[in-house]
Amino acid sequence: MNARNTNDDAGQPDGCPPAASAATPARPSLRFLWLSLAVLGASLTVFGTAMAAQDAGATDAAQATVALSKSIGIWCAALMTIGILTFLYKDNPFYKVCESILIGVSAAYWMVNGFWSTLVPNLFGKLMPSVVREYAIPSLPVSDTPGFDMALAFVPLALGLMLLWRLAPKGGWISVWPLAFIIGTTAGIRLVASIEADLLAQASATIRPLVVMKDSVLAPAAGGGSAATAEMAATAVRTVDFWGTVGAVTGVVGVLSVLSYFFFSLEHKGAVGKSARLGVWFLMITFGSAFGLTVMGRITLLAQRLEFLFKDWLGLG
Amino acid sequence: MNTNTHDRQGGGGGGSFLSRLGGLDRRWIFLAMGLSIAVPILLKLRFPEVPGPMARATFDAIESIPAGSRVLLAFDYDPASAGELQPMANAMVHHCAARGHRIVFMALWPLGKQMADATIKDVLLEFHPQYAYGTDYVQLGYKAGNEAVVKLMATDIPQQYSTDAAGAALASLPLVADVKSTTDFKLVASISAGYPGAKEWVQYANSANPEAFKLVSGSTGVQVSQLLPYYPAQMEGLLVAVKGAAEYEMLVTAAYPSADKPDLLAERLGQGRVRMGPQLVAHLLMIGLIILGNIAMVAGRSRGGAR
Amino acid sequence: MLQRTVPIAILGLSGVILMLAYFSPLTTSWGETVLEWFNILAAVAFVLGAGNLLAVNLEKISSRRPGWAYAAITLVSFFLMLGFGLLKVGAVPNPAHPEVSFAGSYDTAESPFGWIYEYVFSPLTATMFAMLAFYVASAAFRAFRAKNTESILLLGTAFVILLAQTAAGMFLTGWIPEDSAFAFLRLDWMKVAITEHIQTAGMRAITIGIALGVVATSLRLILGIDKSYLSKG
Repeated sequence: MNARNTNDDAGQPDGCPPAASAATPARPSLRFLWLSLAVLGASLTVFGTAMAAQDAGATDAAQATVALSKSIGIWCAALMTIGILTFLYKDNPFYKVCESILIGVSAAYWMVNGFWSTLVPNLFGKLMPSVVREYAIPSLPVSDTPGFDMALAFVPLALGLMLLWRLAPKGGWISVWPLAFIIGTTAGIRLVASIEADLLAQASATIRPLVVMKDSVLAPAAGGGSAATAEMAATAVRTVDFWGTVGAVTGVVGVLSVLSYFFFSLEHKGAVGKSARLGVWFLMITFGSAFGLTVMGRITLLAQRLEFLFKDWLGLG
Repeated sequence: MNTNTHDRQGGGGGGSFLSRLGGLDRRWIFLAMGLSIAVPILLKLRFPEVPGPMARATFDAIESIPAGSRVLLAFDYDPASAGELQPMANAMVHHCAARGHRIVFMALWPLGKQMADATIKDVLLEFHPQYAYGTDYVQLGYKAGNEAVVKLMATDIPQQYSTDAAGAALASLPLVADVKSTTDFKLVASISAGYPGAKEWVQYANSANPEAFKLVSGSTGVQVSQLLPYYPAQMEGLLVAVKGAAEYEMLVTAAYPSADKPDLLAERLGQGRVRMGPQLVAHLLMIGLIILGNIAMVAGRSRGGAR
Repeated sequence: MLQRTVPIAILGLSGVILMLAYFSPLTTSWGETVLEWFNILAAVAFVLGAGNLLAVNLEKISSRRPGWAYAAITLVSFFLMLGFGLLKVGAVPNPAHPEVSFAGSYDTAESPFGWIYEYVFSPLTATMFAMLAFYVASAAFRAFRAKNTESILLLGTAFVILLAQTAAGMFLTGWIPEDSAFAFLRLDWMKVAITEHIQTAGMRAITIGIALGVVATSLRLILGIDKSYLSKG
């Protein structure tokens, strides 16, 4: 699976375990809960279906089908949403069913997407272009060098099959070849990109004038004075931008002090120690700000789900 | 999952209210958080937003390129982050279309293509029905490969995307028939939820050709820390979380209102501002919880000292 | 030879080709070919992920381990989605080529695959991440303690950002004129100062540190000094 995103950062604090854990045998009370939820789900679905049918009564059959499908879908989505939220009270079968569905559906989704979006046009389209054109992508461009393209495409095909060998119980070393290719490619592009975008560009962004100037406009003296004098007085003059200068100095000091904290070749004593300590303070402010922004993100995601429940499902507002 | 995670911690029999706070069942905290978000939504709380410098910079970047420019919008997120990023996507698509820019959609995330499809349907074709597929907009869809996709986009788009998402050859679509690489775009925008996303666009596309196109990004609150060092030198505009979305929405709707569908525009380009309502109450709750937790700690410590 | 030398050579060669592709336009097309192969392998990795899921869940079911019924649910949903997607069941025909069997669109809400995405997958994944709002709140109550200077700085910054990001910032300090000498006391001013100067500086240093680490690790791998990946077989 694709390496997932920074969304995983907060993890599950408070010792809440990650998804997909082993289930405990269902107790009678939980079985009852499961049964009740299943009955509730079925009733809601039937209710939703009836509502949709009623909504669609005046329209033609095609629209009725779409409306029905949407109504059932919204009820289904609401049940799924509630199913996940029930975990907040305690672990339960309803949550586990939703979690299991999510795992299965997401794995299939990613595989199907990878197949139709990448494997078919970029691999099979070169190995057997006529077949792909006939059955899947009629407009697939015709290559000037189909034979050469096909020969080249055997390399990723072979590497791909070797990668899938990981699923076999024996011959694990076979999958190391494609793994080496993946690691080598990643290292090759990251090495250059890191130097260019993250090392040189960031150093360049740090090394800036520490004293920041700004243009200030002096208003002409009120009353009297010739037009020429007034014009001279109204021209911009360069003055020191106090807060701009503070910001620039803070930026440089911050980068250097945090780097000194990361620099372990010198013992953190004396001036280096003080600089490293200042670096820690900068880092703490950085993390504090990052925390504030993270909280905002999390709240927004929950707000969106509640909006769905209130507005799309219950029709409130 | 085990149920122990919900057990009360500490607690004990006696002690003051404050010292027993430490053992509070966390489900009460969950309830408080749920209510702090649910109630403002039901009450439709809305507050005015003042656009900040980063939102303005994003707006200005899209304004500054000539009308009718070719732009690339990368939908690098999925439904899990749509709460934060969809408002940005809606506003950005409307902004680009209102300026007459011709838009090429793509995705680095498998589900990003679905998000782009929804935005095309709900915003682009809703408010700009004159936009024709192939000449005014194109959906390239998703490709697997993460940063390698971006790297390849920077040098040879046709090698990567031999067809659009629906299987039409790029050569048959006037908007992208002559496109060779990202340098053929005036602006690239990544609506980004993490890896791969805006960071990779900076590293693998913008750094190789910093003058060729403007790069802007809409980012989740979680990811924005990673992107701050790139702003403004390597990234001209940056929308920070839902607040950035709300500010940008304000700028876009003020500059480009809809004459025939004002209410719908207010709804579709008002999601960011709607979601700012619960933020106030939930943020105050968070501050309150942190203070309360610290008070409980001090109370618990003094209680322990008294023993 | 096959188990050590060849993988080391493959890794070094692919890495070097991509580095050369950057420095010489003559080798750009080599790099593009390598990247295209990489993208194909990335798509194959999805198949591998699905295969692993199958193996784990089938084993759970066959050995009747606790929770095997949930594994069965996972597999049923997996195969349903996979079947709808790979076979393009109920796909909307391609308007330009309605006669071509697999040219249609399988991911719109009119098709079963798109319907499941819209009404099952999307709400499930969105809600799973929305749950983090609750856990963040709980963590804030239990773990954020002002014990020393560092933690006070962290918490103080978090308070400023939390307040300044909402209308509370304007309500509390919006009355201070923006052009006065005390404008720095405005929460929105503080937020900009923190994010654009202090946080940017902190993250810039972290970015530089990570870049140095990436460069060192990449070189070690390409030069064949780091061979830890060989043990993954």
